[in-house]
Amino acid sequence: MPSYDVMPDVPLFQPAEIGDALNLVEQFGKGGWVLGGGQDTYGWLKDRAKQPTALIDLNGIEALHGIRQTDDGLEIGATTTLREIIANPLIKRDYELLASAASRVASPQIRNVGTLGGNVGQDARCWYYRRGLACYRAGGNLCYADSPQGMNREHALFDASRCVAVSPSDTATALVALQATMIARSVNGRREIAAEDFFVGPATHITNMTSLEPDEILTAVRIPSHWAGSRFYFEKVADRDVWDFALVSIAVVMTMDGDTITNSRFVCGGVACTPYRLHDVENAARGRTLSDESGDALAALASQGAKPLNYNHFKIPLMENLVRRAMRG
Amino acid sequence: MTDYKHIGKDFVPPDILGKVTGKAKYAEDFRVDGMVFARLYTSPIAHGKVTHIDTSALDTMEGVIGVLTADDVPAVEAPNAAILTNSPAYIGDPILAVAAVDELTAEEAMTRIKVTIEALPFAVDPLDSLIEGGPDAREEGNIFVRSREGSGFRTVKWSQQQVDEFRAGKEPTGEFTDEWSYGDVEGGFANAEVIFEAPFVTTGYAHMSMEARTAMAYWQNGTCYVYGSAQSQSFWMPGLARLLGVEMSKVVLISENTGGGFGSKIGAYPIAALPGYFSKKLGRPVQLRITREQEYYIGSARVGFQGWIKMGFARNGRMTAADVFIIEDIGPNATGGDGSSAGGAVSLVYDPAAMRFRGLPVLTNTTPRGAQRGPGQNQIAAVMAPLMDRAARELHMDPLEIRKINAVNSDTTVYAEQLPVTSAYMTEALEKGADMFDWDTKYNQPRRNGNKVIGVGIGQGYHSAGTKGFDGLIRITPDGKIHLHSGIGNLGTYSYASTTRAAAEVLKCEWEDCVIHHGNTEANLPWSSYQAGSVSTFTHTRANYVAAMDAVDKMKAITAETLGGVADDYDIDGERVFNISSPAQGMTYAAVAARAIQLGGAYSGASYPDDIHEITQRAVQNIAGTGLIGVAKDKLAQEGVIPGLAAAFVEIELDLETGKYDILDYVGIAECGTVMHPQGLAGQMKGGAVWGMGMAGLERHVYDPQNGLPANVGYHQCGIPTYLDVPAVIRTSAVDLPDPQNPFGARGIGEPAMGCSVAALTSAISDALGGHTFGRTPVSRDMIVNHIAGKPQSFKPQQTNNF
Amino acid sequence: MNPNLSRRHFIKAVIASSVAAASHAGIQSASAVERHRGAVERLISLNINGRTRRVDVLPQETLAHTLRYKLGMTGTKIGCNRGECGACTVLINDIAHYACSTLTHSVRARAVLTIEGLQSTDGTLHPVQQAFIDELGPQCGFCTPGQAMSAVALLKENPKPSREEARQALSGNICRCGAYDHYLNGVMRASGQS
Repeated sequence: MPSYDVMPDVPLFQPAEIGDALNLVEQFGKGGWVLGGGQDTYGWLKDRAKQPTALIDLNGIEALHGIRQTDDGLEIGATTTLREIIANPLIKRDYELLASAASRVASPQIRNVGTLGGNVGQDARCWYYRRGLACYRAGGNLCYADSPQGMNREHALFDASRCVAVSPSDTATALVALQATMIARSVNGRREIAAEDFFVGPATHITNMTSLEPDEILTAVRIPSHWAGSRFYFEKVADRDVWDFALVSIAVVMTMDGDTITNSRFVCGGVACTPYRLHDVENAARGRTLSDESGDALAALASQGAKPLNYNHFKIPLMENLVRRAMRG
Repeated sequence: MTDYKHIGKDFVPPDILGKVTGKAKYAEDFRVDGMVFARLYTSPIAHGKVTHIDTSALDTMEGVIGVLTADDVPAVEAPNAAILTNSPAYIGDPILAVAAVDELTAEEAMTRIKVTIEALPFAVDPLDSLIEGGPDAREEGNIFVRSREGSGFRTVKWSQQQVDEFRAGKEPTGEFTDEWSYGDVEGGFANAEVIFEAPFVTTGYAHMSMEARTAMAYWQNGTCYVYGSAQSQSFWMPGLARLLGVEMSKVVLISENTGGGFGSKIGAYPIAALPGYFSKKLGRPVQLRITREQEYYIGSARVGFQGWIKMGFARNGRMTAADVFIIEDIGPNATGGDGSSAGGAVSLVYDPAAMRFRGLPVLTNTTPRGAQRGPGQNQIAAVMAPLMDRAARELHMDPLEIRKINAVNSDTTVYAEQLPVTSAYMTEALEKGADMFDWDTKYNQPRRNGNKVIGVGIGQGYHSAGTKGFDGLIRITPDGKIHLHSGIGNLGTYSYASTTRAAAEVLKCEWEDCVIHHGNTEANLPWSSYQAGSVSTFTHTRANYVAAMDAVDKMKAITAETLGGVADDYDIDGERVFNISSPAQGMTYAAVAARAIQLGGAYSGASYPDDIHEITQRAVQNIAGTGLIGVAKDKLAQEGVIPGLAAAFVEIELDLETGKYDILDYVGIAECGTVMHPQGLAGQMKGGAVWGMGMAGLERHVYDPQNGLPANVGYHQCGIPTYLDVPAVIRTSAVDLPDPQNPFGARGIGEPAMGCSVAALTSAISDALGGHTFGRTPVSRDMIVNHIAGKPQSFKPQQTNNF
Repeated sequence: MNPNLSRRHFIKAVIASSVAAASHAGIQSASAVERHRGAVERLISLNINGRTRRVDVLPQETLAHTLRYKLGMTGTKIGCNRGECGACTVLINDIAHYACSTLTHSVRARAVLTIEGLQSTDGTLHPVQQAFIDELGPQCGFCTPGQAMSAVALLKENPKPSREEARQALSGNICRCGAYDHYLNGVMRASGQS
């Protein structure tokens, strides 16, 4: 068995205009690999576990970078770095949930170069899949993690379908909670996709964690002003406080009328193959006040329908507890 | 306390400048003319036989220089590790190497190689192999016993019922291979007020040195030059020469800096000899840099334990008896011995009046095991701490008091043989730590605050910390420079340098006038101990002391011979030898050195003692005639066990909802005799603390038992503690009482520095959870969450190498 | 794209049948090798430690590779080559990057600072280097260049950081020896706060 850590030969394209980039992704199709910060690129390539025919580096395209105010909120260019998101005063003021989530990604150096587009577009972190095994997600016909003695502590409680990997992105939960819209472009036009529809599970697409087509590029993320300045709660529980992905995370937005919750969105990371909406919790939260009692009442609803694997049933009390914490006054 | 000039004072180790400027060279930083790059091809399956290797596709591939297979290197007998093998016994076992003009070409070449392997049964959890009908990790058997009486394979199986009972926490009734005891164990339990039994698991995990084990080699006039990642320097030579199949005089090892070892690079390991064979075959220098993934495979790992312990305590808290049973996971190469060492640590740290140890070393098809920082001692330290707390609770004692009443002291006798110790001051360490930590206040504080709970814990660490019989070598040249030759490796403890200060102390010379030689066989280094096992401080302050004393004797004799009188008329100071009754009369060290060259004989190294090692002899031969030579073998009196000890106190705040805890305070106290190098000691105590925190809560092996695949093949999955997983401040101090069997009173500390930490933290976690003992390391987040939620744990009892 | 890797196939075969005679025969990707033969280096200019360096660089080459293998600047260490340890940390336009996870072609026209560039031309050590010596920061020293670069990046942005800020800023650098406390002491000393 070889082991690799040198980058294999692959052509690199560094377009300066979005039009050129769109032509390139059209030209290379599935073989084209769009490059943001590259932090979920080089490992795949060094391992030879993915072998794209071209790297298309988006970082030279000015239009894809930066944070702008819009009529109804913010637009964040896809190559905006997590570092820039964390430091941005508008985000800090109105959408602090996103800054909190971004600040818990990986490590400082990765946040320095990692982009929002790359963070939401990153691939599953299942260790079997990352080893380059021919599992369902890699085009094969079995799931190693969901096997009688599979080691699946980090895997999904909900919505598994053949593949039991979870959505690893910290910012994805925040964007789904904030009802962000993802802007995708191709040579054929432009598509707006609700964040909730952008992330797809294995039942929809077994080899892709997003609904982006091979000829599309995620160009920007729009955050509507709807939840600006509302009550936010973000927490990520991981083994280590640097690098590690969430065992369970939670992103919550709430609008309040005095002490009473009028509307809310609860989204968990690390429990399903997509950011996982807690619809029952949201429904039950309406009209409640923040309190331990409310937390206890809602917590029980959080994990309904969970289907634990060999090693991950601890995620059930963990996600219930994160709901409790979000409901604490 | 003695007023020393150098001992106990900080200094700037000469290699540190290179480390902060990037100029320090590690094995993979060397480049020589004509050098080619090799990459390693390893086994994709956990156990098998290579039946065919087809590399014909490489014959015409541009840039490929050659291939090295097991047929090109010496065969070794199972279960020992080979340089390359056709009988792989774990995923990642090296099968062949490819050399090319660059690493990329070598990597691409590997994809064209066809290797056919016949699969054999395999086991990743010792209990899966031990159970009747279970697979054996080696065709020859599932047990390998190493002993002085003879080593060999065995096949041991337990019945389903015996395994079930063991999993249920009952005393094992199955066969074992190792046993020792002292005292009246049955009587000890009969006299006990409190007796309890507890099962335990300590999961193995990788050493994960920052520098993967790169090596580069070439041959020149029949001598093999090896640029290696070596934890020891001179101590590597016999093994490296044996691996290369040449005389020791035909090997030069260059290892100026080593990016961590922690026990995984103590002696020459097989892969370090691969470039030597490859270079010989190709007639070109070859560098083999392995990937991080491969360092995980072959870089070795801590031995895992699955065990059972029974302890009895008298009403006053004294341990009356201990009965310890350990199944140790010795990997595919039967490397271990941790089990018996753990038993020894129980006998020393807690001094039970009577004790029995039983052990069973089981082979598995997992990454090879090796000594890892406190091998055995630190696993059992983690097991014991919460159990000592449990005993204290049942006896209504303070956890500090029960440790003090059982604390090892200078009169304690230890191990099966009930040997004396050179000295021991555990009580003083506990008292000093309790004082710094403010134990009474912290122990008695309110614990619960909403969903947070405070836990406090105490840990004790031990490792034998010294050996004897190695050589010291110093040289004074006519320019007045004092050359301190150090054959210890340089892996970051700075003991290669700090121990030479013993010679400077004897010579009463200025540190600025000293030059340290190390890191290269050609620097004329003496035979030195392994840079491991916490031994270098004790061992090489002695060796440097005897060499410097030899130099002083020679300088006095030379001065007497030159200026008249007898040697005893003279003393030294200010880098001069002077007449005691007439201090103005004397010679400078420089002048004495010049005179030594004229006089020859033993003075200049033309002759030397018979009892020094051949490595030291060769070094002396090379420097003979260049100055005054001080050289001697350490034959100072030494009797009994030399204990390195440490105590730690930890306060954590555990979040009952997430299972996470913050370490609020950590105090570590070293009990290692005289403090030689305060900054270096602090570094070891703090580094050891971090290691203990990793072992207690984060680091573990994970294997899929269905295919033998390891899940952790990189830093990310291995869970090495980061800055944010340990406290921003770690407090340390030392007892600083001299040991009588070292000229300066010093003993070692590297390993106990970790043992006390993992013990204190497991103790604190148990305390935070109201005394619950998991009986397992690491205590991971999921275990804490499941426990608090009243849910069962995910793994089977006694299961190991799982999440 | 051919995702069919030799290793993947091999392991799959072994796992699919518990007793398998598996082989690498005919499953490696020929196209990968052909692509390798087609790789072309381009001569580019890099600004490293204030000097312009002309160097031939492959399209996919990482900065760590260029520094170590092309320019002989071996102070930048490769610990994991995966962005999981920080030993290869360098500054690019004053921001800390993992050089193992940065394409060299992406740093054209940007200022790269490596450990070799910290010392003044007159030999004076950078305050971080001096403080790391004074506090005995390094143990084995393999992570030290990366720790130093993260510390330098922090002090450029925040000359008087708190210990907690330093801890956060250096948290992308692993030290297996566990010398974190000593490195933090070094940062505090280098910023004139101890």
